[in-house]
Amino acid sequence: MEYVIEMNHITKIFGDFKALDDVTLKVKKGEVHALLGENGAGKSTLMSVLFGLYQAEKGEVKINGNHVNIKNPNDANNLNIGMVHQHFKLVHNFTVLESIVLGRETVKAGFLKKDDARKKVMELSDRYKLKIDVDAFISDITVGMQQRVEILKMLYCDNDILIFDEPTAVLTPQEIEELMKIMKELVNEGKSIIFISHKLNEIKEVADRCTILRKGKYIGTVDVSSTTKEEMSEMMVGRKINFNLEKEVQQIGNAVLEVKNLTIKAKNSQKNVVNNVSFEARRGEIVCIAGIDGNGQSELVYGITGLMPINEGKIILNGKDVTKESIRKKSVEKMAHIPEDRHKHGLVLDFDLQENAVLQTYYEPRFQNHGLIKFNAVKEYAKKLIKQYDIRSPREEESIVRNMSGGNQQKLIVAREIDRNPDIVIAVQPTRGLDIGATEYIHKKLLEQRDNGKAVLIISLELDEVMNISDRILVIYEGAIVADLVPEEITVKELGLYMAGSKRGVNYEEKA
Amino acid sequence: MDTVYFIAQQTMYFAIPLLIVALGGMFSERSGIINIALEGIMVMGAFISISFINIFQDSMSGQQLLILAVLVAGLTGGLFSLLHAFASIKLKADQTISGTALNLFAPAFAIFVARMVQGVQQIQFKDTFHISKVPFLGDIPLIGPILFQNSYITTYIGIGIAIMSWVIINHTRFGLRLRACGEHPQAADSVGINVYKIRYAGVIISGVLAGIGGLVFVVPTSTNFNASVAGYGFLALAVLIFGQWRTKRIFIAAFFFGIMKTFAAAYSGIPFLKDLPISNEVYKMIPYIATLVVLTFSSKNSQAPRAEGIPYDKGSR
Amino acid sequence: MKKRHSLQDLRGTTSFFASFMAIVVGLLFGLLILLVSNREQAFPAFLTILVGGFADGTKGIGQELYYAIPIIMTGLSVGFAFKTGLFNIGASGQFTCGAFAAIYIGIKCAFLPAGIHWLVALLGAMAAGAIWGMGPGILKAFANVNEVITSIMMNYIGIYLVNMTIVKTIYDPLKNQTKPVASSAIIPKAGLDKLFNSNNLNIGIIIAVLMVIVIYILLHKTTFGYELKSCGQNKAASKYAGINEKKTIVLSMMIAGGLAGLGGGLLYLSGSGKYLQVLDVLAPEGFSGISVALLGMSHPIGILFAGLFIAHITVGGFNIQLYSFVPEVIDMIIAAIIYCGAFALLFKNLINKNKKHVVDDKVVNKEETNVKEEV
Repeated sequence: MEYVIEMNHITKIFGDFKALDDVTLKVKKGEVHALLGENGAGKSTLMSVLFGLYQAEKGEVKINGNHVNIKNPNDANNLNIGMVHQHFKLVHNFTVLESIVLGRETVKAGFLKKDDARKKVMELSDRYKLKIDVDAFISDITVGMQQRVEILKMLYCDNDILIFDEPTAVLTPQEIEELMKIMKELVNEGKSIIFISHKLNEIKEVADRCTILRKGKYIGTVDVSSTTKEEMSEMMVGRKINFNLEKEVQQIGNAVLEVKNLTIKAKNSQKNVVNNVSFEARRGEIVCIAGIDGNGQSELVYGITGLMPINEGKIILNGKDVTKESIRKKSVEKMAHIPEDRHKHGLVLDFDLQENAVLQTYYEPRFQNHGLIKFNAVKEYAKKLIKQYDIRSPREEESIVRNMSGGNQQKLIVAREIDRNPDIVIAVQPTRGLDIGATEYIHKKLLEQRDNGKAVLIISLELDEVMNISDRILVIYEGAIVADLVPEEITVKELGLYMAGSKRGVNYEEKA
Repeated sequence: MDTVYFIAQQTMYFAIPLLIVALGGMFSERSGIINIALEGIMVMGAFISISFINIFQDSMSGQQLLILAVLVAGLTGGLFSLLHAFASIKLKADQTISGTALNLFAPAFAIFVARMVQGVQQIQFKDTFHISKVPFLGDIPLIGPILFQNSYITTYIGIGIAIMSWVIINHTRFGLRLRACGEHPQAADSVGINVYKIRYAGVIISGVLAGIGGLVFVVPTSTNFNASVAGYGFLALAVLIFGQWRTKRIFIAAFFFGIMKTFAAAYSGIPFLKDLPISNEVYKMIPYIATLVVLTFSSKNSQAPRAEGIPYDKGSR
Repeated sequence: MKKRHSLQDLRGTTSFFASFMAIVVGLLFGLLILLVSNREQAFPAFLTILVGGFADGTKGIGQELYYAIPIIMTGLSVGFAFKTGLFNIGASGQFTCGAFAAIYIGIKCAFLPAGIHWLVALLGAMAAGAIWGMGPGILKAFANVNEVITSIMMNYIGIYLVNMTIVKTIYDPLKNQTKPVASSAIIPKAGLDKLFNSNNLNIGIIIAVLMVIVIYILLHKTTFGYELKSCGQNKAASKYAGINEKKTIVLSMMIAGGLAGLGGGLLYLSGSGKYLQVLDVLAPEGFSGISVALLGMSHPIGILFAGLFIAHITVGGFNIQLYSFVPEVIDMIIAAIIYCGAFALLFKNLINKNKKHVVDDKVVNKEETNVKEEV
């Protein structure tokens, strides 16, 4: 059986780090082949070698049985290999048409000829059922549509081998379904697809075979329909994963955080990004706000913590009205915040570990005296956090945080926020982009908070995380809370329906 | 009415160099490289080309000499800007600092060489390029006196450059790719475009135009070059920003600033201005204040190329 | 936040090494220019540059210190701003405003007692500079406008405004400059002029060194300095941490402006025959400040030495006129040094080339998220 792609014994080294160690991948024509592995396993690196972004130190690549040497994306393109990256490569103020033709424009004496291109794009759009508006600007269309533009880019230059890098990370459940359909359509038309993912559910749904990588090494290739999720994940991680967290039932105390009728308007319109939201977060429980990205949860947290001004409503912390208080005051009143974007808000990347450790507390008497910093105290504190929270870094408390791995950066933030002994921890997507080890650790710490009688409010997009860790789930849809659920009483599919707005909870019916 | 013509003609002398240099800045910045060395490149271009005129003005004269000088100025500017291009693109240096270095170097160089060669730092030249009236076109009512009398060939070159720039940026493959490199170089790279090459092109174009702009600035307004272009390079940056990096708006901005400069410089020669209680220093300030105002209100919706100033590193993903 | 790749990102020994290399390359470049212009005289002239003010003994050193004062101040101004994430290219305008305020007070407030007059004038200079620096600070903090462009604009607005005001208030039409200041406004020499045998030197050098120490403590030892650096590196994270990032940016620019303004005051009240001329020319000391800050790696102590170094070769530059060279070669050397300073990161990368490549976990990428409101 001839393989359309063969990557044999590929080794890729950066400096003295082996990103890929003797990895082999064989893809059949007309199949959807999944590439599974944790973050850092080497999946993206392997595809970058195929796509010509990197050159392998050892190994060979064969396309349709012929040995090839892919030195850059142009070579890859000439071999009809195309790639949809996880972070779209689209220019915000180009039109869809311009984006599709960029790099392969039809020209006459250097001048752009748009009509031929337009015709071809419309043809492709019809044939593969990829609906788009050719003259719309990229910044004005949805993420799902942007992804379709990326797919059309590949089809426009007659790519037969299509690589998708974590394509569902940015899509809503509906868009994911549509993408699965599109992939099946593409395969029907004779394309071969490689699909990088760490989401077992999706691999199960659409892939024929799956190759698993772990820490740069090839673990195995399996037939998806005859392999269980547990088996695949064990190959991915190297040990059995407990998908269900052990949770003791806790005594629920009084409310630490009460949010009443919170409303935040969008900047340039009258639309309510956060719409009359009310809820409580109580001692000894983990409340999860679940929702599809873009339904107001980010703004809700910004409003509660003070990063964004609110239009209406009250925020009450331990019985005190802190609606109008500064961010500093809320922090002093025992509200801790593990932010959504650890690089933007959570850390000052060019500071070292100890400077980041006291980011929220540098002004306290234990760290300063009449404005002069007590450097020894800061150092000792950082050392303590490193030890207690197992934070790994190149140079301990003097490491520049930028050089730490994402997992350890997040651990630092979690350590800093929890060590302050807050009454409520607000954690937004606390395990995003982290590998299983770091994820397990952070979940453990959040559970500890709950078991110690603190309140925990988690905002998450990962349905598994939401179902496993929370005591209560609030679903947010279009800025409003539409359901208050108990995870034991629902299924993941049902939760998805609530998140998509197709179902509303009791007491949360839409007002006529 | 004569005053109007006078103002219009003077405005040309000020607006055209601003236009040319600002368009140069546009090419560089829209490819992703901030170029605040426009001032220094103008000085370099003016210095070499005016020295050229000075050397050859005994054997040549008129438009021939000027056109050759324009070519020399462009070539000089292009070469000098390579320093900035190399530092910014290959070495991924801080572009503001690299630009500042060029700005400091150029006038010192001009003074040094001039004094070593001819003893004094001013370079004189004879103005044999002035066109008092273009045959036929100069007689058209209204447009004639404004555009075709009391002018220089560089005015028409400038307008030609403006039209070409608009066409190139918006209607050619090169323009499309250049814009991609300035907004999202990873996107351009992923479709096989050589971002480095395009950025080099962008910076070199800005160098060529800034060099020409230096010459075009000096010729109508003086009979010697004194190692300075009086901050025009920075004013051109203001034109670029005021014009939100778009050709048509840059055109308008250049003329607006040009008129202000005319008011400031020809203050005493314009009757209605003399009567107003506004000192000429105010007119000098207006372009800068106007830019500040525009910046304040448009920074949220700025059309600045999103990737400008950030060195492109192929390895980073 | 746009990351700057230059000297100020390096730490410790690497950056010192890079700075040193930049100086060596710059000087060699100067030597090259001298050789090309006049081979025989080149080496003696080069030596003259290197020897600088030492050629004239204490008098020469005194001259160097005199020249160093204003550029140490503007260097501190630019360097301080760098450390807080801002490029203060507006030091020229702030310098000029400070100079004007000092001279104005020096002329109009002659009723003040002798011991205080000069002090008040200097304070006025600082205030004027601070006010002039505030503009770009406010625009950056509240409207997120790039401070490089606004500072450049302020430079020109400043010079026109100052010229306009001089003509209306303290003008000497014959010489097209400011009138002389009262003698009580001249900064005391406190015997330094005798010590160094130089008429121009005054306690300004002590004031400059004092400011170096003050800024060092402020930046590196105080919580305010911590907040400044935090805002400079990451505005969003500072806001998250409860720091008032808007106030901090404005204060930072005010301090930077004040430092430059003070430099202006120190120069024009030195009684050395300097008058503010009514010309449309930006104060070159402002741009020298950029060179000083870069060479000094934005560290106050480094800036002190960088300022002294540049003053040193500047004096050397005057002396090479003996060999019929033009002193502008010094400016070219400084330009070359700055140019090399711009890519000092290259040295760091060369050193780090063999270090382990850290393949990051998939990190939240700003491009990936939907366009969210600026928080």
